[in-house]
Amino acid sequence: MTYLTIRVPNWPSSALRRRGRRAAKSRWIYLVPATVFLGALAIFPLVQLARLSVSDVQVQNLNSDWPFVGVRNFIDGFSSGVLSQSLANTLVFVTIVTVVGLVGGIAAAVALRGTAKITGVLLAAMVFIWALPPVVNGSVWKFLLADDGLVNNVVNLAGLQSFPFLYDERYALISVAVVNAWAVIPFNTLVFRAAVLNVPVEQFEAAQLDGATPAQEFGNVILPALRPTTIVLAVLTIVYAFRSFDFVYVMTKGGPGTATQTLPYLSYQQAFVGYDFSAGAATAVVAVLFVLILAGVYARSVLKEESE
Amino acid sequence: MHFSSFVSRRSQTVLSFTALGVASALALAGCAPAGGADSDDNTITVWHYYSLDNQNAMLDQYKSEFEATNDGVTVENVYVPQDQLNSKLIAAVGSGTGPDVVVFDGYSATTLTSGGVLAAITDEWSGFDGADQIAEGAVTTVSGDVYSVQGYVNTLGLFYNKTILDELGIEPPTTVDQLEDGMAKATAAGHQGITLSGQPDVQGAFQAFPWLTEAGFDYAKPNADALSEGYARVRGWIDNGYLSAQAPTWDQNVPFAEFMNGNTAFAENGNWQLSSLESDATFDYGVVPLPVGTTGKVYLGGEAEGIGAFSKNPALAWKYLEETFLSKAGQLVALDQVGSLPTRADASADDSISADPYLSQFAEAIATQGAPFPDTIIPPENNEAVINANGQAWSAALGGQTSPDQAASDLIKVLEPLLQK
Repeated sequence: MTYLTIRVPNWPSSALRRRGRRAAKSRWIYLVPATVFLGALAIFPLVQLARLSVSDVQVQNLNSDWPFVGVRNFIDGFSSGVLSQSLANTLVFVTIVTVVGLVGGIAAAVALRGTAKITGVLLAAMVFIWALPPVVNGSVWKFLLADDGLVNNVVNLAGLQSFPFLYDERYALISVAVVNAWAVIPFNTLVFRAAVLNVPVEQFEAAQLDGATPAQEFGNVILPALRPTTIVLAVLTIVYAFRSFDFVYVMTKGGPGTATQTLPYLSYQQAFVGYDFSAGAATAVVAVLFVLILAGVYARSVLKEESE
Repeated sequence: MHFSSFVSRRSQTVLSFTALGVASALALAGCAPAGGADSDDNTITVWHYYSLDNQNAMLDQYKSEFEATNDGVTVENVYVPQDQLNSKLIAAVGSGTGPDVVVFDGYSATTLTSGGVLAAITDEWSGFDGADQIAEGAVTTVSGDVYSVQGYVNTLGLFYNKTILDELGIEPPTTVDQLEDGMAKATAAGHQGITLSGQPDVQGAFQAFPWLTEAGFDYAKPNADALSEGYARVRGWIDNGYLSAQAPTWDQNVPFAEFMNGNTAFAENGNWQLSSLESDATFDYGVVPLPVGTTGKVYLGGEAEGIGAFSKNPALAWKYLEETFLSKAGQLVALDQVGSLPTRADASADDSISADPYLSQFAEAIATQGAPFPDTIIPPENNEAVINANGQAWSAALGGQTSPDQAASDLIKVLEPLLQK
């Protein structure tokens, strides 16, 4: 019998501990650039925003002292109804974008889960749409939804009158929200599709053996598998929808009147059109608080999923 | 522990290039509009928001003429989009930079002054021999110091499609009832009645003012009834089909483009559109002052000019303004290229205005209906808030978001605290 001798290095345990500690210490140095970036580009502006929201800052004193006024900006915003109306508009907007975005994403993912060539073409087209700058997307849709635009031309062909997509105060917000949802669907589709493709083939085979209809297959095999993805994408879509400035700016400028004025758009209007920087900051802080709460929910649900 | 033991050589190269790319992108993103911090003694930068061809032609002519008469001097015209110019100027103050000459929307004069954007030009103005030619209303004075001057005035008039009016036997209206009759006839014959801007911002407010003052509104004694009557009248045009329901989404250029299609009888728009009418209209056209009666007014708009507070060449910048926007010859260039009306009395007396069938109408509108913009009664620090509230109320009433009565009372509620000193 031949024996294979293996030599194991005989390092003293204290040396091993010292080596581990040194490696641990030097690890933190690599965090410095990221911390500096985060601090300068995220934390410092947030601190300034909070300071602005509790001060009285107009054009005259933007570059000098900011007198402290406590929560007056928030009280003024809510008591005049301006902040509450924008908040209501934002919540409607977020609901539409999230629901349409998720439903559309799941539907497209289930429809495109095959590997035919047409699937690849469609997925590429969807990614193209998602990657288009919102300004371009919004401008194109503004033309499509105009009275003499393509959509209304089709409506007219069907014998109906032109539909006031963007200038009727009841429909303008819904129209902009649907366009925003349309731009979000491709991202959701890609993520959902990956989740669907991850479902083990055996489950589909078992379902077919049991004589399940496509609808039952969808309800009992696919949907449960998509649950964790749905939670994550729901929170991400909600957070994304809260930043609803670009489509509103390009398509309706907050109008007609204030019908499509969401929190980010109101903040822009107060700060950069009305030069009331503290009111704009207060509005932005309200939006940030909502997003923080939702981000907290996301973090908790991710941790819960990981521990399961 | 070495980095390369974690990551393959190829990925390292990719990562390094990516990091380099990100770093340079960040550095480039920090660049402000070009020409803001020039320390060359013989270059002056002019920030403006002109986007129409004729306006840029005027600016180019000023540049070439000034460079020709001032050896070795370069003028750099820098375009900034209109809705970003004011915030960029105010932001530049924070870093102690800015242009030499600023061409901005006249109604922002007091806002920019309080933001520290403009340099006081009191001494230069008192030493300027053309100062007595320019109307007082065109000069912005804050706390005794002069900060900006308007070299020309733009205002609104009623354009009409003469071909359509002749075909239907309509005369250019002199009262608002005649205007409504004309629009009714035009709509019945399958044309559009009128186009105007209903956008919820300064442009909408600019176009709303004639109809609100026609109904009797006055900032000295703000009255919800007059506002309500004005909103209801124009809302009625939408209900009757004279005016497109899309007006709340239109700025001032889209309604004019609609008028240029040749199927609209009237358009409420400005003299700055005259040269494009001249070159592109496929129909006969005319202009009359807006038929807004004895109380109706039109704002005297147009851009104002000033010197940047952080200009490195204030003397040269003032020389530029003296020889271009504020000189008689320069104001006639603006008249010729854009159709903008001079603020100098000697330039306004020019034959080309009284002989021109269109310019003379605008000159008459300025003389009989002109009102300062912004209204001098409004405390300067509240100008922006007042004009925005006006624009939003106009857009809400036209778009049906609120009834004319509700829009009027909402606006009065917002205006009352803003109008108190």
